[in-house]
Amino acid sequence: MSEPRIINGVVVDDTFAEAFPMKATRLVITAHNLTWARHAAASATGFATSVIACGCEAGIERELGPEETPDGRPGLAILIFSMSGKELAKQVERRVGQCVLTCPTTAVFAGIAEGEAIALGKNLRFFGDGWQISKVIAGVRYWRIPVMDGEFVAQETTAVTKAVGGGNLLMLASSIETALNAAEAAVQAMKRLPNVAMPFPGGVVRSGSKVGSKYASLGASTNDAFCPGLHGLAAKSDITPDVHAVLEIVIDGLTDTDVGAAMLAGMHACIAIGAAGGLLRLSAGNYGGKLGPFHFHLHKLLGEEGSTR
Amino acid sequence: MTQVRLTLKQPPTLRVDMRGVTPTALAGLEPAQIERITVTHGMQTLALAELFDVSRSTSAAGGDAELLLEGDLSRLDRIGWQLDSGRIVVVGSVGDYAGACMSAGEVSVQGDAGMLAACEMAGGTLSIDGNVGDHAASSLPGSMDGMRGGTLVVRGRAGHRFADRMRRGSAVVFGDVGDFLASRLVAGTIAIGGRAGAHVGYGMRRGSVVFAGAASNSASNSAPAIAPTFVPALADAPVAWQLIARDLARHGGPFAGLPARRIVRHLGDLAADGRGELILAA
Repeated sequence: MSEPRIINGVVVDDTFAEAFPMKATRLVITAHNLTWARHAAASATGFATSVIACGCEAGIERELGPEETPDGRPGLAILIFSMSGKELAKQVERRVGQCVLTCPTTAVFAGIAEGEAIALGKNLRFFGDGWQISKVIAGVRYWRIPVMDGEFVAQETTAVTKAVGGGNLLMLASSIETALNAAEAAVQAMKRLPNVAMPFPGGVVRSGSKVGSKYASLGASTNDAFCPGLHGLAAKSDITPDVHAVLEIVIDGLTDTDVGAAMLAGMHACIAIGAAGGLLRLSAGNYGGKLGPFHFHLHKLLGEEGSTR
Repeated sequence: MTQVRLTLKQPPTLRVDMRGVTPTALAGLEPAQIERITVTHGMQTLALAELFDVSRSTSAAGGDAELLLEGDLSRLDRIGWQLDSGRIVVVGSVGDYAGACMSAGEVSVQGDAGMLAACEMAGGTLSIDGNVGDHAASSLPGSMDGMRGGTLVVRGRAGHRFADRMRRGSAVVFGDVGDFLASRLVAGTIAIGGRAGAHVGYGMRRGSVVFAGAASNSASNSAPAIAPTFVPALADAPVAWQLIARDLARHGGPFAGLPARRIVRHLGDLAADGRGELILAA
């Protein structure tokens, strides 16, 4: 690593976030009103923080107005990311079947047109027990499945696209309050951008991990180099004594450009808080370039912004 | 783009079978070669030159090959038969089987069409500015399946047995239709702007039949008589209706305002599968 930059009192490490290829799809969930669309979307993207144990990573991308949805009702766009198209197909079917089909008044549509098709309503239709009806409209097949509040309409398939997972930003702060402030501001800035999802609770993760463990059965374990409680105890620490809390934001996006744009927006929001707000340092997690082909260098993202001092 | 223009010299005395005369087949031929192509006229064969003045033009503009037919072609059958690419424009009326069995491409008739238009059509678009005869969008005589894809637009009236045995695609009629509309319908979407004759949806299994002119407070109320083998739907279907209505609205005319209108649905025909719906736009 070369010299860090200092912008508004915040040290920006000369390091990079390391991301890896994923498969993703976007679903559009509509409902009678935004409240019920949000219930379905929150449920469908629940327990989807990390592919390590959830099978997928998912998040709500944005709200959609009635003029933006196929059925003229309010809705939400959600993004679901997985490590393979096969696993993604499994997750989409389970989550739509358990969380969207079950939610009053909802309907679900593909949010991406180009790419390999995976089942959306194609298999869920059998819930209709023979009463389901296919409807092909403008070359697109929909399934109408009778349910107790009327009918559940689902597009037959959605498309899978290549995506990028694991973009990240570490915020090192003087206290947990200031760390939360910075993280919340960064997530808010990132959420304004399209094509990205921050899958952890509130978009923020406190349990950043490193590859490997002293226990042979574990593939990942706590990132001790960034744990303030282990400063002075662990053999290697990447934090200074003035850092008392570290939080991380993980970003999944449809392209590396989207992930990079979200990281930049997050950094700008953090830098605006500055050292005066208790944010001391920005860093990123990587594994020496061995984990994935996408490297997001913080200094390159910032361009000429800031100076080396 | 290559355009071949066939101008009818005078109406033939007998029926002419135009199968094989498609834009793509003619696009690579010189006018002299086109003139030598034969079609059947009654029991005889005739060269196209005996029926038409032939001309051909090419332009630098891209696009599919086009065949322009001019004159009263109401004795010329199977125009657009098994069409799979290109565009046919007819300035005048056509005979039977217009656009029958076509799988892609476009046929535009600026006049009337005879019987069996769009029968067993599987793709593409057939639009008819005037009226169509009986059995449009239905099956060939003796066949089990009718229209199975594509879009049929009739801006005038349609005859009896419209969309008999149809199973996929969209068929819209701006005006009135005859008896047995959507009889034995397997699936697909039908929209009617005017009045329908007797026995609407007789034996229909699935599919949607939309009546855009069925407003009960309208002087031109054209709600069809609903057979006793249909039941009123208790549940709304707002999502499916919006998907259907928005797709139909692009045809304009009586369908333009459909997405904003409320509907009443009747489900049936219970004498068959019973999963079809008659949709009356209020």
